[in-house]
Amino acid sequence: MVFPIIGLSLLVSLVSALLIIVLNVRFSRLIAVAGSAAILAMLLALLAVDLPTGTLAVAESYPFVTAFNIGLDLNLNAITFTLSLMATIVALAAALAGNPEKAREKAANMLIMFFEFAALGIFASANFFIFFIFWDIGVVVLFFMINSLGSANRRYASMKFIIYEIFASSMLLLGIILIYFYTPVNSFNIQYIQAHAASIPLGTQEIIFVVMFIAFAVNMPLFPLHFWLPDAHTEASTQGSMLLSGVLTKFGAYGLLLLFTTLPIAGKFAIPVAILAGFSAVYAALVTMLQHDIKRVIAYTTIVDMGIILVAIAALNPFGEYGAVYGMLAHGITIALMFLVVGCMHHIFGERDMRIVKGVVAKATSTAYSFLLGTFGITGVPLTAGFIADVLIFIGAMQAFGVYGALPLIGLLIIGAFLYFVINKSFMLTNESSESIEYLGVSHKVGYALLLFFMFLFGILPSLLLGLVKL
Amino acid sequence: MPELLQLLVVVPLVAAAMVAILLRRSHRLAVRYVALGASIISLLIAVTLAFQGPQVQQFAWFSLGNYAVYITTTTATLNMMLLLIVAGITPLIFTYSIGYLKVPSEQSRYYTEMCIFAAAMMLFAISANFIALFIAWEMLGITSYLLIGFWQYKPKAQAAGRKAITTIIIGDVAMLVAMLLIWSTYGSAGADAFNFAYIISQPATTNLYIAMVLVAIAAFTKSAQFPFTEWLADAMEGPTPVSAFLHSSTMVKAGVFLIAVLLPIYAELNLLYIFIIFGVVSALLGAMNALAEHHIKRILAYSTIEDLALMFIALGFGSVYGAMLLFIVQAFYKALLFMSAGSIMTANEDEEDLFGSFGASKNRILLITTVIGALSLAGIFPLSGFFGKIAIDSSVSGLPALYTALVYAALLTIDLASSLYIFRWLFVPLRKPPLNKVTELSINYRTLPKSMLIPPVILAAFVVGGGIVYFFMPGIMAGVSMAAPLYLSVSDLSIYAETALVLVGLFLAYRLYAKGALAGFTERHKALYAALFNEAFINRFYLLFTSAVQAVAKAVWYFDHYLDMTIVGLGMGVVEISGGIRRVENGQVNVYVVGFVIGLVALVLIFAL
Repeated sequence: MVFPIIGLSLLVSLVSALLIIVLNVRFSRLIAVAGSAAILAMLLALLAVDLPTGTLAVAESYPFVTAFNIGLDLNLNAITFTLSLMATIVALAAALAGNPEKAREKAANMLIMFFEFAALGIFASANFFIFFIFWDIGVVVLFFMINSLGSANRRYASMKFIIYEIFASSMLLLGIILIYFYTPVNSFNIQYIQAHAASIPLGTQEIIFVVMFIAFAVNMPLFPLHFWLPDAHTEASTQGSMLLSGVLTKFGAYGLLLLFTTLPIAGKFAIPVAILAGFSAVYAALVTMLQHDIKRVIAYTTIVDMGIILVAIAALNPFGEYGAVYGMLAHGITIALMFLVVGCMHHIFGERDMRIVKGVVAKATSTAYSFLLGTFGITGVPLTAGFIADVLIFIGAMQAFGVYGALPLIGLLIIGAFLYFVINKSFMLTNESSESIEYLGVSHKVGYALLLFFMFLFGILPSLLLGLVKL
Repeated sequence: MPELLQLLVVVPLVAAAMVAILLRRSHRLAVRYVALGASIISLLIAVTLAFQGPQVQQFAWFSLGNYAVYITTTTATLNMMLLLIVAGITPLIFTYSIGYLKVPSEQSRYYTEMCIFAAAMMLFAISANFIALFIAWEMLGITSYLLIGFWQYKPKAQAAGRKAITTIIIGDVAMLVAMLLIWSTYGSAGADAFNFAYIISQPATTNLYIAMVLVAIAAFTKSAQFPFTEWLADAMEGPTPVSAFLHSSTMVKAGVFLIAVLLPIYAELNLLYIFIIFGVVSALLGAMNALAEHHIKRILAYSTIEDLALMFIALGFGSVYGAMLLFIVQAFYKALLFMSAGSIMTANEDEEDLFGSFGASKNRILLITTVIGALSLAGIFPLSGFFGKIAIDSSVSGLPALYTALVYAALLTIDLASSLYIFRWLFVPLRKPPLNKVTELSINYRTLPKSMLIPPVILAAFVVGGGIVYFFMPGIMAGVSMAAPLYLSVSDLSIYAETALVLVGLFLAYRLYAKGALAGFTERHKALYAALFNEAFINRFYLLFTSAVQAVAKAVWYFDHYLDMTIVGLGMGVVEISGGIRRVENGQVNVYVVGFVIGLVALVLIFAL
């Protein structure tokens, strides 16, 4: 009997969530931190054991409806391990940093652990049935995260979020059912489907592709289905935004990666999808330039980065594939850092409009420099994880699309320039500086440190994860 | 890892940066000695490497399947030359900083950024492939941004920093695209496709052509060539030691050096002419603005733009020899002049206007070193600047006669102009101070700290003796494996023409500025002044560009906003319709009966007709 690492991780996250409900609020954060730290420790131990051999493959199965061949089929490989690791790091950082708004701590920690459960489940799921279940758990958890923990306009934002996401879920379900009925032996198993997808009639494949593409594109998000994102991110609590942008958007990206590697017809759609994704990146970058709310600025940069990741997925070559995965890792960690920084800045100054907040560096030095380092991460400066991602992504994109593959970098160029503009306006110029109304807690600094550590770790030693890749 | 031997050069500086962060609270002033010590260790390692002879070292950074990405370093001749210049100037800059920067609270931030800046430039100097180069390239950009905006309370300094980083980001993206395009074209399993030597050996393709144009753009942003000139002039808002460092050996030299290394590819692709065109334009712009500028450091900044442009022109004619000669000697005289400018500013209580500075003759060491620096920049025999200038002038060859004549005329004009502006720069602060300031200024000049006077003396020694490099140059260049010409045939014409023009410039400057014949000159020749002082036009061009992007962004934002509103509106419409229909379902039996009857009648009618 091999150590059941995925099952145990899922169990730990679920039990932590339930314990938080049952026990006193005093323990809630402790449990959340301990739970996610335990999962992170297990994943890192798995990495330590498997890195020397260069292969990581874990499969576990807990059948429950044997008649339909449905069960908790879980597996981890280099790709899904990377994503699970990212989700766990973000969840740990969110729990560790605590909620700068200091409101409803019990609910927040419970939702974090439930979301960690959903994220681990979705990345590890080996069949589409549980993939869908975990998907919906994640969406519903984040709905509550926005709806009950968010700021003033949270009800509007959470309703918008859930309507878009339910539309996506129904599309996803439709796609999954279609796949189930058109595979030779009706099956939800992803590996089996990948092996036998060629036998699905071409016309049906097209329908499945379009339906599931729409589902994942809403979640990712991609122009013109991105409208839920800025509102949801702006209104969610700081921890909510970290999970939302750091992990939830990766559900869609991972789904698209699955879709492109599963259906043979995907090659036919590669170029239109890449064009749409590149357009989405540049479009979102331009919209970013008109924002004043720093949290909204960060929210829009998510669309830019996810567009670039989709270009890599559509490249349909190893560099694109692993570049997209590394991009998701880098983006998840970096954007969580950015949202944490902006949340703390809002907490310290009571305001996050770049026209009003001035001279952050004078009153909150670590916050200002973390924002600067996060900007380096987003723009892909070497030694941050974002650089490795950019290298892999754009090699893949240019191998597939020639020099046109580099065009989405215009989006990155624009948000880079704009983020330095924000830094100049609000962070580094101290000739006038806003009054601080609160201090930054130690736990928030620990949160910065954790995310920065992993951002630089995966930027300086990329072979930690790329060593697992077998081509 | 023994293969990392060459990276040892940068280690002490990075360590010093770490120390500077950790020492923050307690031992603020100790930081400067830690940084100085680290820079000396780096220098010693660099010298040791120089004696070991050229060697290439390579280690795999990460790999994807069989495709590996390497960090490759080399101590080939050119790289060693740059490494020694950087490693040699760094301790001098740090020594100067001890006297210059006295605010205790800013010490650790300053030395952290300076150490990383120096380390980045050393890494750049030894990089032999695009990955090592790009790491250094971005670190240079970021640290220069932080150092230019070092005075955080000054809005102008912050704006200058942002202008620098915005320009540099354009270059960074261009560079990233170029290197990845090259990889995706030539990459194969097991090969280091980022390696310069590997790329030079590959056949030319369209992709290589595009990539090399992008690399040239990146080099122009770093080296502040037209149309990216203005950030360098604004960068003068940073502390003076930073300017001295930035302009002599780091950052702006990176672009020229990169082109020098990659020159065989440009020669193969017939792209050399772009360096001549942009070089001539930038050199003229730099010289014109330097003539009209009043800010004591900005004059030197425009002069740097001009010097770099001259190097690009030489490279454009395939003369690595000439470009590198000026490259070496310029590092010393420009660092020296910036240090002098910093000392004059310190004595004049941070007065930045050239015409508000007085009495530079009160301190003899300062006076002598400054005069040596200025004479060298103008190009007076036998100072090192002379050899640099004639090497550039003699590089012009190989074009049709008309173009050759034009370029040569431009170069001679620049010789005259640079002599004129540098002696203007020298003579104006030498004037006698107004009576109410005499005592104060004498004290200020006499009490300049030793740490601000010793580095210029050392640099002056290099400036005086640096001309020797000219005679060693063939030996140095022999090790460079390039198709470009190794030797330079200096024509007598160049020597005489150059010297004559410099002397004319000296004479004019003496008449106009030292004797004060200039009174009212700018008022009488407004048009000429505006034409010379054209930085405002370039800045307006930048504004035009950014506002165009902003206009597009605004249009896109409106589109985004109204599309969102439309979708929300559709949703609301559904809610409204459902609200209307819902009113029917109110639980009253009579309403249902009426509905039932209407339906029945309708059905009967439909089936009856």
